[in-house]
Amino acid sequence: MPEIVVKGVQKTLAGLLTLREINLVAADRTVVGILGPSGCGKSTLFNIISGLMMPDKGSVSIGGRDVTGQTGLVSYMHQKDLLLPSLNVLDNVSIPLVLKGTSRKAARAEAAKHLQTFGLQGFASYYPWQLSGGMKQRAAMLRTYLFSSDIWLLDEPFASLDAITKRKMHTWLTGVLEQFRPTVLFITHDVDEALYLCDKVYVLSECPTVVKLELSIPFSRPRQNRTILDQAYGAARDAVMDALSI
Amino acid sequence: MRKKFVTIANSAVPLVFVGLLLVLWECLVRVMAVQEWLLPGPVRILETLCGNLPMLLKHAQSTLLECLAGFVIAILFSFILSFFMEEIPLLKRAFYPLLVASQTVPIISVAPLFIIWFGYGMLPKVIVVVLVCFFPIALSLLGGLAAVDREYLELFRSMKAGRLATFRMVKLPLALPSFFSGLKISASYSVMGAVIGEWLGAKQGLGIYMTLAQRSFQVDRVFAAILVVTLCSAALFALVSLLERLIIPWNQKTKWREL
Repeated sequence: MPEIVVKGVQKTLAGLLTLREINLVAADRTVVGILGPSGCGKSTLFNIISGLMMPDKGSVSIGGRDVTGQTGLVSYMHQKDLLLPSLNVLDNVSIPLVLKGTSRKAARAEAAKHLQTFGLQGFASYYPWQLSGGMKQRAAMLRTYLFSSDIWLLDEPFASLDAITKRKMHTWLTGVLEQFRPTVLFITHDVDEALYLCDKVYVLSECPTVVKLELSIPFSRPRQNRTILDQAYGAARDAVMDALSI
Repeated sequence: MRKKFVTIANSAVPLVFVGLLLVLWECLVRVMAVQEWLLPGPVRILETLCGNLPMLLKHAQSTLLECLAGFVIAILFSFILSFFMEEIPLLKRAFYPLLVASQTVPIISVAPLFIIWFGYGMLPKVIVVVLVCFFPIALSLLGGLAAVDREYLELFRSMKAGRLATFRMVKLPLALPSFFSGLKISASYSVMGAVIGEWLGAKQGLGIYMTLAQRSFQVDRVFAAILVVTLCSAALFALVSLLERLIIPWNQKTKWREL
């Protein structure tokens, strides 16, 4: 079961103690939001979880196995879409399959099956510069899914989108999460986004960073794009806001 | 419709301007009765060009052959060197200053050495062309490789991509636009390199044609040769631009730019 446990992670970057001590748990098949001020080391944390960076102290384990410093176990989606301008959508999203050794043709066929779900049907042969911002993010998301279907690290995937597109992406993502049930760690600056999408939220402090608040979201994810009227919503939002000292 | 008209008008302006300059030149030469061995008028040059066309084309052929050979060799060298310099940082630190320093040696001063070593055949000219072209190509390719967004590399590392796969799928394609801008500079340099090589002694080529014409004060022939050299440079430049569009059609920056 892909449960992610981060235990006592500490990291100093360029002489600056960035992460003092981070402990967090993402239970299997849950969506966990990570909120924090700019520059608090959220991306560093993701680099450590994805194995790109070694922590100075502490460990990362997935499904009970220590995987500190191992790459290739989780799928990491950056804020930028990072689609290769030289490849069309289909070839871009099939990159992870090709890297795993699938033949180009088989990879294309496999990737093509998912275009519909990710709202990219009919755009297979388009190049990244021909796509809208939302489409590029969905293509990046499909690439993320094709690398690993069970653990996703999403680093502000919607930060570059306008408010309307972002809202549409939320509704869409809810459906995708429902369908694939991955374990997700989700970095965001948007409190409402976190409350809307996540089962649990961690709020991080300023640098040197510790976990300031761990909050389970008491209401389930809404099925449709409706304003959340749950009584607990206001309290949860206030708690997060307080922790962020907004 | 209006836009099209503007485009036509825009490209007509420099043509008209050049035409006016030529007319002015012709008039001045005639009015002031300038000696032909000093400065011939454009009409005279054009006549010489037409009269000597078969011979000029024969010379141009060997010059172009030297250019293309040197150009291709320079491209191959640049790719091989850039790959190793990009993948092995120690090599980059060792070679980069050498690469820049090599450019401070004036080509015109070493070219005679190649004649001494390799004779009057094509080889010394090809070497000069390689030396002239290599630097802009290698530098633009290295620059392009170094400028690849680190996040792409991190993404590929997180997907457990090997170094070769990363180079082939990410670094190389993303470096190509920069590579092509270097290639375009080299394309125009390459003809110059070949002509310089031929000045010093050759069996055939536009350079030697120019030298001979100049020594016998046939200035109209020198001008005709200059015209052919210019056309060769422009043709090579156009060829590279065409290749660029074919090889990286996805590059937005070149997509709508005129040749």
